[in-house]
Amino acid sequence: MKIFVITIQIGILYLFHMLGVWISESLHLFIPGSVVGMILLFIALSTGKFKSKWVSSGSTFMLAYLPLFFIPVTAGIIKYPEFFTVKGLLLIASTAVSTFLAVAATGWSSERLVSKKKASVNALD
Amino acid sequence: MHWTSLIFIVITVLLFIAMKKIYERWRSAFLIPVLTTTLFMAVILLLTHIPYEKYMEGGKWIEELLGPGVVALAYPLYLYRESLMRHLLSIIVGVFTGTLVGLITIFLFASAIGTNKRMLLSMLPKSVTTPVAMEIAQITQGSPALASVFVIIAGITGAVLAPSWFNWLKFKTPLARGLGIGTSSHAIGTSKAMEFGEETAAYSSVAMGLSCIIASVLVPFFAAWFL
Repeated sequence: MKIFVITIQIGILYLFHMLGVWISESLHLFIPGSVVGMILLFIALSTGKFKSKWVSSGSTFMLAYLPLFFIPVTAGIIKYPEFFTVKGLLLIASTAVSTFLAVAATGWSSERLVSKKKASVNALD
Repeated sequence: MHWTSLIFIVITVLLFIAMKKIYERWRSAFLIPVLTTTLFMAVILLLTHIPYEKYMEGGKWIEELLGPGVVALAYPLYLYRESLMRHLLSIIVGVFTGTLVGLITIFLFASAIGTNKRMLLSMLPKSVTTPVAMEIAQITQGSPALASVFVIIAGITGAVLAPSWFNWLKFKTPLARGLGIGTSSHAIGTSKAMEFGEETAAYSSVAMGLSCIIASVLVPFFAAWFL
């Protein structure tokens, strides 16, 4: 019974994905269809008419297996042996360092704003 | 469907489940299933001389689930909608800053290493999810295929190293952690964010979506200006 519910709910998620792809393509958006689908489902849930229990089991299942769905794409790295040269490894390392700096910049700037906001709320008290 | 396609699907799924079990047993960041499964799959394909295109005849059915998988992120987003709305300004400023820093630093590093223009252009959109990065690379006349490789590297390094980075940077809140990983490591990072809890995943999902929009505008402008 549980597996039946999960399958149906994944079907619902898939419909939102297809709708997202269709909107993204017909409006020539630069946001991918899956992200448009995510926004659509979020809006549907926020209206309250579309019940969260209709997708909760399916979503939980899909999120637990999300990394699996990347494997076919990531395995594509075998097509690029040039990344296993010194220069290639340097480029990989700089991608990692740049990723780290982006994480740091995002976290710091967002936390700064939150603590400022808290400080001004406290000042009002 | 050809029978070999079915075998590729079964091998990929079984390999992933085995790697997930190993990860759950030892919990080392370097054993994250997306990394170990990718490496094993790559070794299997190289040793058996199976071309990637042949593997993808089966692999595309797994990839097909990536779309509904991303849609499923709306659920944690919905659960934490109130804290998201409360921190809307921090989210926008944080994601914009992170996207810009990622873009500028990769440009500086790649220029310092000295690489050709096509490679450099393909590296710039590394922080956003694959379809968007490929689209951006197309616009800036980089290579979409190369762009997807850098997207994977940014995603996997973020997912593997995020726990140590959060410790060094003393990021303890779901806000800082989720926004950080979602802005710089897109959907692969977001799947790691799930391990820190649904609230972190919610922030990561928002950051992932928002950074797509910001990067789509920022990267082509940057490329036109500096290259």
